[in-house]
Amino acid sequence: MEEKIISKEDLLNLCKDVIGNGHTLITPGKTEYTVVKDTSEIVLDTTAKPTKASYKTFVFPKAEPVIYYKRGKNDVQLLDVEVEQKKTVILGAKPCDTNSFNILRHLFNWDYKDEFYNVREKQFIVIGLMCNFSDNFCFCTSVGSSPVSDKGADIFLVPLDENNYTLRVVTEKGGEFIKDYSKYLNAGDEAKTKAVTDTVKHPEIAFDSKQVHEWLGTNFENPKWDGVGDLCLSCAQCAFVCPVCHCFDIVDEDYNYTEGRRMKNWDGCQFGHFTLHASGHNPRDIQGKRYRQRVNHKFKYYVDKFGEILCTGCGRCSRGCAVSIDIKEIVSNCKD
Amino acid sequence: MSEEKWEPKIVAFVCNWCTYTGADLAGTSRLKYPTNVKLIRVMCSGGIDPVFILKAFERGADGILVSGCHPNDCHYNAGNFHARRRWEFFDELLKFLGIEEGRLQFSWVSASEGKKFVDVVTKVTNDVKAMGQFKAYKDLNDEFTAKFPEPVLNEKEIIMSEEDAK
Amino acid sequence: MDDLRKYAAELLEKGEVAAVIGYQQVSEKRTKPIIAKTAEDCAKLVFNEYCLNNLAVYLTKARVKELRRVNGAVLKLAITAKPCDVHGIVALIQESQLKREDVTIISFNCAGVVKDFGMDFNGETLATKCVPCDTHKPLYSDMVFGEEKETPKVSDEVLAKIESIEKMSAAERFEYFKAEFDKCIKCYACRAACPLCYCQRCITDKTIPRWVESSAHSRGNFSWNVVRAFHLSGRCIGCGECERACPMDIPLSLLNRKMVIEAKEAYSYISGRSLETPTLVGSFDVKDSDELFM
Ligand code: SF4
Ligand code: SF4
Ligand code: SF4
Ligand code: SF4
Ligand code: SF4
Repeated sequence: MEEKIISKEDLLNLCKDVIGNGHTLITPGKTEYTVVKDTSEIVLDTTAKPTKASYKTFVFPKAEPVIYYKRGKNDVQLLDVEVEQKKTVILGAKPCDTNSFNILRHLFNWDYKDEFYNVREKQFIVIGLMCNFSDNFCFCTSVGSSPVSDKGADIFLVPLDENNYTLRVVTEKGGEFIKDYSKYLNAGDEAKTKAVTDTVKHPEIAFDSKQVHEWLGTNFENPKWDGVGDLCLSCAQCAFVCPVCHCFDIVDEDYNYTEGRRMKNWDGCQFGHFTLHASGHNPRDIQGKRYRQRVNHKFKYYVDKFGEILCTGCGRCSRGCAVSIDIKEIVSNCKD
Repeated sequence: MSEEKWEPKIVAFVCNWCTYTGADLAGTSRLKYPTNVKLIRVMCSGGIDPVFILKAFERGADGILVSGCHPNDCHYNAGNFHARRRWEFFDELLKFLGIEEGRLQFSWVSASEGKKFVDVVTKVTNDVKAMGQFKAYKDLNDEFTAKFPEPVLNEKEIIMSEEDAK
Repeated sequence: MDDLRKYAAELLEKGEVAAVIGYQQVSEKRTKPIIAKTAEDCAKLVFNEYCLNNLAVYLTKARVKELRRVNGAVLKLAITAKPCDVHGIVALIQESQLKREDVTIISFNCAGVVKDFGMDFNGETLATKCVPCDTHKPLYSDMVFGEEKETPKVSDEVLAKIESIEKMSAAERFEYFKAEFDKCIKCYACRAACPLCYCQRCITDKTIPRWVESSAHSRGNFSWNVVRAFHLSGRCIGCGECERACPMDIPLSLLNRKMVIEAKEAYSYISGRSLETPTLVGSFDVKDSDELFM
């Protein structure tokens, strides 16, 4: 791990070069992460609220074709979809976003290696930014991260003063990337960085994830779940804005009588028909059971399977929920 | 495709009892009307769901006609009265969303109005011809396929033989 | 607030209602729904300018209806509703989703609510839906609380935006809406939050045939947003919940408001205002305009 200092101006120059080199540059916009066309659009604000949507759509698009098909008289022709080879740089991701690939990677490389995800992830450079925002919904500290954590980032930025940032190279991939831009870097000062990060207010720890994990193991049936279910409206806002929710649905879409594409679209476990069987039977027939799945998947099953909590503590799902269902509150309540 | 050779695709959703019979009459009276029009027979104009219209646009229609029995002539008494309110809203909505006036047109044609049917479809066809291809809606498709490469199915194709299929 | 809590607790105690659907405070400037089933729950009920939700959405949920069955009897449900939310309840009754005698409406004199949680309530932060609101007293209710207050006067931005869109050319309008709809991620939060999207099976969930493509690409998003706006034409009560629920900030109220205006201009009809009139799209008049038809 190596620390450097980069001036604000040079950081913008670096961005200009990134775009000039034909890479895609993405920064947090008002609602979602957006592709930067001109560096004047870039606002690096540590006190900004997390965007409503995470950047997962850039590695795991909301809708993408996985294969094209054409029906002939006696045969079916198939055509593979190639994933575009293009370096993508994310600038200014919050620690609760940077950690998402570390978590998602397991799922897409488990029984089947998902090439679409892997090719895109490999081309990603994540430049994180220290966070100085926190509201009632944030709980990164309860899931093993923090507003100054560089976990998952390739490069991490800490604003030192008005005009300078500490640029920390976290991964090899980050080091490889920054080589081309070394002319913008000056010697770093770890003490100064620490002085800044030490002033950051951390969200209070809301729950002990180990205890939650334990409680979930013995409380699959618990009246608490019904209480949650009464209010939830069964949309997928919470899953779709989440940086690590990853369910998808495969559908075939014809564009004429013989040709079509097979699409991979986001899906969410809070939809009533998510588990609806063709027979008409629905194992998760009421909302309480669906919310129980959401919490269990995040804080138990995923931990059992991959050793990671399927949540980065960003609080997006709760902040955006139309009926203010707060996952932090619910998980904190997962105790006797 | 060159501009001159382009012919609009018109879809007409017509009710079984009046407009379709009217079209039939036009046929049996040997009246000529543009061959661009593809008729889709529905039992009642009240049974034409606006998603039919969207689907037709999605599948490449350049213009659409919706036609049923004259008010008071509905085979089911009130189907067309219900339809009238609904289309009023749908038309207004599409206009607001920027779908040009004339892409979607409406008429009442009775079973005895073979001539009117010919006039109506000729007008729709001419209007749409003047407007040209419905590029805006097609772009909605193109843009999607452009984001991902358009399949060139003859190159690099993989043939699934009957054996593979087993 | 105490009257409200007392009244609600009494309703429960007398065995008149099975539950009270209301608001509870979760932080200083945020409330969330609560389905109060005990006197203890009732002590949490509040009403203030942070009561954004339209709780009428719960009245058609199967599990909430199920709550009405208590010890073999079928009780009523009580709901706290702002005057505008009452329109939603009326619309549901008009559409035969609910019976007036099955619901106890506890309403308020209302001077508006904030745009979003966490904001201070002042002129500028008045919710979009409150700007054109003309019913600060409920049209139907069983009990009304709160004093009449002056609503802040705010310029009608949605109307101004609609007017500016109407001045654009068709091509520009199409571009504008396409760009907005492109953001849609098909989370269906708009549908979930809408009191009038109560369909057991929404048309987008129908797969044989698949009328509205489920993919969130330009084309699928366009049909979804058109279909929903159309299904709410002449029915939307303008509660703005869809737009508030939308995580992608798509200006859904533009479409809905436009259609509300259309219903008013063409048929002098505003949804959810009268239990005596039939719904606009469920009825017809032989004298309706015939202008559209050749
Ligand atoms: S928790 Fe909120 S966002 Fe998630 S499904 Fe329920 S209502 Fe929708
Ligand atoms: S579950 Fe909620 S808080 Fe956790 S990562 Fe997903 S959106 Fe963020
Ligand atoms: S469409 Fe939107 S504004 Fe209209 S009733 Fe439904 S949620 Fe309310
Ligand atoms: S969009 Fe239409 S079909 Fe779907 S729930 Fe709403 S009203 Fe029903
Ligand atoms: S809430 Fe917004 S993003 Fe979600 S489906 Fe509706 S319009 Fe699309």
